[in-house]
Amino acid sequence: MMRMFRRRKGMSCDQVMEVLQSYLDGETDTETARNVASHLDVCDDCGPESSVYVNIKKSLAAQREDVDPEILETLRNFTDRMVRGEID
Amino acid sequence: MSPPKSDAQVAFDKYVVPELEVLYRTARSLTRNTADAEDLVQDTLLRAFRAIERFDGRYPRAWLMTIMRNANINRVRKKTPDLLDDPEMTFERSVDFAETEGPEETVVEPVFDSVVTAAFATLSPDFRQVVELVDLNALSYQEAADVIGVPVGTVMSRLHRARKRIRERIGEEGLESSGAFRAGEPS
Ligand SMILES: [Zn+2]
Repeated sequence: MMRMFRRRKGMSCDQVMEVLQSYLDGETDTETARNVASHLDVCDDCGPESSVYVNIKKSLAAQREDVDPEILETLRNFTDRMVRGEID
Repeated sequence: MSPPKSDAQVAFDKYVVPELEVLYRTARSLTRNTADAEDLVQDTLLRAFRAIERFDGRYPRAWLMTIMRNANINRVRKKTPDLLDDPEMTFERSVDFAETEGPEETVVEPVFDSVVTAAFATLSPDFRQVVELVDLNALSYQEAADVIGVPVGTVMSRLHRARKRIRERIGEEGLESSGAFRAGEPS
């Protein structure tokens, strides 16, 4: 019943805000994602609000530190030796 | 010429080796120190190798995160508890983090970014950890839950509350629309 209701009327702003974070993280099912996306396209409140969170996520992702390639090389060597039984 | 690979070696190459960088990044979030992070990854690799024959091949990253959590519990037990939550260590680390340059992509909105960075640095350690795992290290909710050892719902509530804190700081600075022209944003 809930499902029919949603389908006809679309999601309310409250409903969208409740799942927005999960939506931005790609953690909702596809139907929810579609409903959220179509609400964001037309809602003057939720659309801009969502953009702020998108920018926060981008800003955080940009802070990701590079991994020193030497460390990865060390770990790869460790793995090689381990799988050959040279380490226990 | 090298001898033919065993099943375990083949499985390890397939499921574990591609995850080395993610493992290391996650270990760094958990240990806050590069030497400990390397040890934790090595311990995780040893445990994974011992268990690889029983692994069914589904969700290798989540499987590895669970192994890393157990390895980390073991590591933490060996350490003085006091040292782990030393606020000064935490502080130092936040500063390090804030000073680190991001990837080459242009930082279009330095003020926006600096507010985000500052707000991130003042989050409590539990909150900062989930932000680091999900937003910086790109783990899924489930993978983050597995490595921290909490239910997925806890990851979600911490992460969402943490982001709201950051969002509030953006609002206090009146920067809501200033990130709008970041590179990569569809126009
Ligand atoms: Zn709305």
